[in-house]
Amino acid sequence: MTGIFSYLVFFACVVLIFGVLALGLNLQWGFTGLFNAGIVGFYAIGAYTHAILTAAPQPQYLGNLGLPWIVGILAAMAATALAAWVIALLTIRLRGDYLAIATFGIAVSIQLVALNWEALTGGSQGLSRIPKPLSGVFDTPLAFNLWFLFLLAVIVGGIYVALERILRAPWGRVLRAIREDETAAVALGKSARRFRLEAFVLGSMLMGLAGALYVSFIGFVSPFDFLPIVTFQVWAMLIAGGSGNNRGALIGALVVWGIWSASGIAVTKVVPPSHAAQGAAVQVILIGLLLILVLLYRPRGLAGEAAVVSRHAAD
Amino acid sequence: MRGWIRIAVALASGLLVCAEAAAQAACPVKIGGVLPLTGSMAPITKKIAQAAELAIDHVNQGGGIKGCPVQFILRDDQGQPTVGVDAAKYLVEVERVPAFTGTISSGVTGPIISSVTAPSKVVQITCCSTASPFTLDGRSAGYFFRTIPTSKTQAYATASETTKRGLKKTAVIYVNTDFGTDMLRFYKAALTKLGGEIVIEVPYNDNQASYRAEVSKALAAKPESMLLIGFPKDAVTIVREWLSLGGPRTIALNNSMRTMDFVNGVGAKFVEDFFGMDNAQVAGPQVDAFNKAFEEKFKADSKGPGVHTQYDALMVMALAMNIAKDLTGPSIKDAVRLVHAPNGTPVGTGPGEFKKALELIKAGKPIKYFGATGPIEFDANGDVTGPALVWKVKDGQIVTDRTITIEEMQALFRRIEN
Amino acid sequence: MIGQALADGVLTGAIIALGAIGVSFTLQIMRFANFAHSELLTWGAYLALVFVGFAGPGTPTGPLSFGWQLIAAALFAAVLTGVVAWIVDSLVFRNLRRRGAHPLTMVFAAFGAALVMRNVVVLFWGHDSHFYTRELQIGVELLPGVRMLPDQIFILGLTLVVVVSLHLFLTYSRTGMAMRAMAENPQLAQVCGIEVDAVMRWTWILSGALAALAGVFAGLTPQLHPEIGFNLLLALFAAAILGGTGSLAGAVIGGLVVGLAENLSVLFISAGYKTAMPFLVLLAVLLVRPQGLFGEKQ
Repeated sequence: MTGIFSYLVFFACVVLIFGVLALGLNLQWGFTGLFNAGIVGFYAIGAYTHAILTAAPQPQYLGNLGLPWIVGILAAMAATALAAWVIALLTIRLRGDYLAIATFGIAVSIQLVALNWEALTGGSQGLSRIPKPLSGVFDTPLAFNLWFLFLLAVIVGGIYVALERILRAPWGRVLRAIREDETAAVALGKSARRFRLEAFVLGSMLMGLAGALYVSFIGFVSPFDFLPIVTFQVWAMLIAGGSGNNRGALIGALVVWGIWSASGIAVTKVVPPSHAAQGAAVQVILIGLLLILVLLYRPRGLAGEAAVVSRHAAD
Repeated sequence: MRGWIRIAVALASGLLVCAEAAAQAACPVKIGGVLPLTGSMAPITKKIAQAAELAIDHVNQGGGIKGCPVQFILRDDQGQPTVGVDAAKYLVEVERVPAFTGTISSGVTGPIISSVTAPSKVVQITCCSTASPFTLDGRSAGYFFRTIPTSKTQAYATASETTKRGLKKTAVIYVNTDFGTDMLRFYKAALTKLGGEIVIEVPYNDNQASYRAEVSKALAAKPESMLLIGFPKDAVTIVREWLSLGGPRTIALNNSMRTMDFVNGVGAKFVEDFFGMDNAQVAGPQVDAFNKAFEEKFKADSKGPGVHTQYDALMVMALAMNIAKDLTGPSIKDAVRLVHAPNGTPVGTGPGEFKKALELIKAGKPIKYFGATGPIEFDANGDVTGPALVWKVKDGQIVTDRTITIEEMQALFRRIEN
Repeated sequence: MIGQALADGVLTGAIIALGAIGVSFTLQIMRFANFAHSELLTWGAYLALVFVGFAGPGTPTGPLSFGWQLIAAALFAAVLTGVVAWIVDSLVFRNLRRRGAHPLTMVFAAFGAALVMRNVVVLFWGHDSHFYTRELQIGVELLPGVRMLPDQIFILGLTLVVVVSLHLFLTYSRTGMAMRAMAENPQLAQVCGIEVDAVMRWTWILSGALAALAGVFAGLTPQLHPEIGFNLLLALFAAAILGGTGSLAGAVIGGLVVGLAENLSVLFISAGYKTAMPFLVLLAVLLVRPQGLFGEKQ
């Protein structure tokens, strides 16, 4: 049984990393109504910042400073927060779907910088030998993955508690007030723009953290980790799980990544290798259909409870 | 909702338990595969997957592995690193594959090596991932092999052929991935050493509707020839637009273009002045046997990127697993190089030859595998070197113009690197 | 060099413009970002391929690489794709709209529909490329240093005809005026007695038809494959938004701007950044005019 257990531990680590992304998105969308379609861009900034600071030095790269893991993590969050602040200043005035396209384009541009600026990011070859925290101590895959799962659980738990606290605190209440009825909130002297900015930056910071965690888990980063499909996956997770709901974000991460993974496994059981290509196309169709079904029959997501914020506020 | 969750968990557990229970039994022996069956690479992966299937068929017909039939479990990485890593981890942990093949894009191969292959000590042989750092910087702890030479071989050979034909003022249009940049880097180094001249380098991002901008930029540098590094689908668009805009017809191509998809896409009558490189499938009975078997089974031409190397990757794996004293990672790893022992009896492709190899292995005698790509001899890093060939199109058929032998390649390497 | 880039940009822009018109109107009239729109381009291209499969592309007429049969195929595909667009709406989107579904839900439904539509094409035709005609044209030099293919000039001309016809339709026909009214102010339009359902139906049919034409033109220059629509998706949205949704002129100008931005950018920076250009231009426009060039201020 250790095989399944080992795989599940690994699977759980990936789910938790996606969970951090979903929690960040939930703060931006579920609680603030910001349609961020550039998730993968912030994920990339966090990931590359961490990689550039912690990877072993190599002569042809500008970065690769070999700094400790925690420095990489904190720097990743700082760098992403800074980038998010600049981006938010430029785009916060835009209405819903325009914001989506703008953030999408920014994410595409960030990925292209990662791809083309070889001296800093390793270009299309990526950066390798990114140190995994305490891998010297936990030297078998199972031991390391268990330790990392524990680390992730602590981090995600901490974020969850912190988010729930913030959202019930005055700051969070103003945020909800702005979402429910912006005119009233503004009339009471609250700057909607400032709160939105803060929520956007905070949410993006979480996405950058997820990126740093991802590269220190896998040990390798390349521009191909940051294609738009990731943005789509995180959105699917939030929608399926229930936006406006932190628990929903985490459940969504588990369910959507579970579907993605299990459909691949199921295809190998049902379809012989000679038809693997068609089987794979069917897998993609299945994922699409499942998403549509969840939307049609559980439009408030699987977490199913009343959303904390009214849905109409988004329009 | 609770009900749905219960059902889902039950189903998932069922799937996993079945898989693992089956994995505990000694037979069949499972071999894993991770390939981009969907996504932008899908058009070329189809034939590669077929080559894999052919190899497994031949292995089973020839006697299997340690007396057991082989079951091939192929998963799609969808071109996304996280999906590929998840698939590889599943194959290694749940299906307990002693070895696996994969994948194509180095963006996916890289994370698999660093998070699955090296830590879990499982042998991985790729048909197609050419990024040189994977074998050269020690990250794979010796568990990663490839049956395709790195881009260095092809790039050096192309540079040599370019100067040999007296081509000047070359514009390079290359796909903006690790493969393209790797090839470009080696090509540039070689060409400078050999006395050629690159007038402009234009990268292109794949999957675009039109490449007129890139082509126009290259043409503005007034080149007399072009080197195109990329893959067939976009290459067809680029070459057609190049020719339409009046670009010179002397075009050098990399190995991926050596397929009728490319030739027919551009149009056979327009490609007469092109030439391309490939890692040589040394002509010989083993190669012919493979081509024939492929064409018989799939009613399609066996030419295409990765087809021969994928077949060899799996044959090498199966032979190594038979030679190895048990099916653990370290044993298989050590056995891989014994597939081509210096004093071994030559064995080739096909079920008959595989059976012969098994008999030799059983009798404790060394073998020397000659595959669909010629002699498969891994160097200390897990790479193969090989001869190269120059191909062109004549009367609508892809023919070999000349071969560059291993000795000539080695001489070329020395000339460029000293 | 600049001349060629301008010519290339206008040509790319024309195809994007045709596709963007549908996106623009669905965005404005139905407040719905239809990410399955690009698959209408793909379906249009492949439906025309079916017709060509029976009738052939026709012997090359004049300097063109095809005969009247391809035009017939394009019209056939346009009509069918318009119907397909309406059917997809009836099956998937209309239900969600009736239930008052959140715009985000609609976006996701569109993604799901796009995945299905694209992979149906893959199931039938596979991933390999197909061609309408095997001819390879050599460009004619219109001006010193500026070459275009006769096919491309024809496409430009046809696009112009289509756009002008559409403009006349929107300005002078009842349905057209109803569409414009709904685009400008849906609530007011309803109050004035405009049949919302009919307008929506026409919007879908027109979107589908225009997308099909864009798909055929893209497939002609030079090949068809299942991702042909998907590869243009973001350019279509960028064009529709920067031009200002709900405006025909906006979609057309938007398309041209996107095409020109891509082609002119490589003159100054590495072509590795080309695919980001539509967005950077979009961002620049939105910074100055958040409603797009020809859009209505909210």
